[in-house]
Amino acid sequence: MSGQPSLWWIDWRLSRAPLVRETIGRFLFLCLLGFALLSLLLSGGASRFLADRYAITAVLRAGVPAAEAEGLARKVAALPPVRSAAYRDPEAAWKEFLRAYPGLDPLRDAGGNPMPGYIEVRMRPDRLTGADVAFVGSALRSVSHVEQVLAGEEWLPRQLRAGRLASGACWGIFGAFLAGFFVVGRLQERARAVALAGDFAFLAERGVPSGRLAFFRAAGAAVSGFLLAATGTAAGGGALLLSLRTFPSLEGVIGPPSDLLLPRTVVAVALFACGAALLSAAASLLGWRAARSGRK
Amino acid sequence: MIEGFRLGVFSRGTTLWDGLDFAFGDAAAWLVAGPPSSGKTLLLSILRGERRPDAGDVVVSGESLYRGNPALARAWRASCGHVPEQAIADARLTVGDLFRRSALAGGGVRESERKDRTDRLLEMVGLPGALEWRIAELSISERVRACLAAELLRGPKVLFCDGVVAGAGIPSREMLWGLFRALAREGNTVVLAERTIPERWALAAGEAEPVGPFRVYRLPVPGAVKGEPG
Repeated sequence: MSGQPSLWWIDWRLSRAPLVRETIGRFLFLCLLGFALLSLLLSGGASRFLADRYAITAVLRAGVPAAEAEGLARKVAALPPVRSAAYRDPEAAWKEFLRAYPGLDPLRDAGGNPMPGYIEVRMRPDRLTGADVAFVGSALRSVSHVEQVLAGEEWLPRQLRAGRLASGACWGIFGAFLAGFFVVGRLQERARAVALAGDFAFLAERGVPSGRLAFFRAAGAAVSGFLLAATGTAAGGGALLLSLRTFPSLEGVIGPPSDLLLPRTVVAVALFACGAALLSAAASLLGWRAARSGRK
Repeated sequence: MIEGFRLGVFSRGTTLWDGLDFAFGDAAAWLVAGPPSSGKTLLLSILRGERRPDAGDVVVSGESLYRGNPALARAWRASCGHVPEQAIADARLTVGDLFRRSALAGGGVRESERKDRTDRLLEMVGLPGALEWRIAELSISERVRACLAAELLRGPKVLFCDGVVAGAGIPSREMLWGLFRALAREGNTVVLAERTIPERWALAAGEAEPVGPFRVYRLPVPGAVKGEPG
């Protein structure tokens, strides 16, 4: 005897073909899960969709100098929940009005431009909540130059609730697929443990403890699960990037491609890979236990 | 030295045997002959540390297999080779898989070394080029010889063979006779369990020691006083 046998990748060394098939299947599934995860992370469920279509309008009083209005817009843009705040002078407001209601030019002939200037405030997708909208609204109302704040407070809570439900449903579906990954993985591990039972019995007869076998199988499953999840998510991210470049309109729902490299996205992907590693190890151990006890 | 003290086994609601003493010295080839259903396979399991006897104990080099340190028992099992009586469970494997698995149990056998030794061992047992053959397609004799060669890959210090001589068949007896004695000469211990001992082997081994339902023969190693079977 030349020493304690190394049990790393024991399944690979005993039975390669089935393991290759399983690994390819898991990788493809994790690519899909990675694509879905990144889409959900970037979009925040329905948050970005809502934030893209929602704006607070602060109508300014007549006669507010453009410089002061722009200064006010800059101050509003500096508020934490605000993504952008842009001042539209009365002339721009009039042009927008005409684009929306063509043929109403005669209104101006009566007594000049009837449209006031205004500040359009866009919220950050992750800060589009009732509290943050109320905070921005109250901040705007306290400014003497602001005549009226249009924040849609009467219908916004319903929209936000619907958005939360949609986000929850999306994450629920993602979780269901993740659970499916675990269940299928457990069945595969069990089937492989049954198929290799003769080999494991052979090793146990020759002094290899069963616990050590189970540990190294689970450790191998964890390492491969982590690597598969990391590479699968990277591949899914690549597909998402390609989709966003091909169809720029998706940015309004999912988000800009640059968000893929945000630290929080990278951390979330790392956590996902760790979770996949844990699930893989658990599936391996449960599959091993079920195979040894003869249960399904 | 493998010693069994007052070994007893209770099986199928009755005492199969009890109070048996065995002593298998190192660097020797031993043959335990016994009638069918006398518990030969069970005896080998007990000696290998696989099955705790219902009475008595097995001591290897002064250490108890069943009452001592479990790590020592595992180390003992790791140093043993075992050729079972039949290998139906391995029918899905190829001969190459047997060697791969055996190398895995041995640990540290390099790939190139494994291939080289595999080829030589297969040739020795009369199965050259059998690496890709499926166990299910082999005859009983070929299976036994393939399993024996795979066990030898690891170079076990102690080799337990259950029905190997009978399973391998008459044409392989001379090869086995030479192999077991050569292993013993190199310092290994071989314990064979058979229903009967081939006549020529019995003549060469001389008087058997009766132990319960068994007769224990010590096969002569080359250069020993006992004669060669003709």
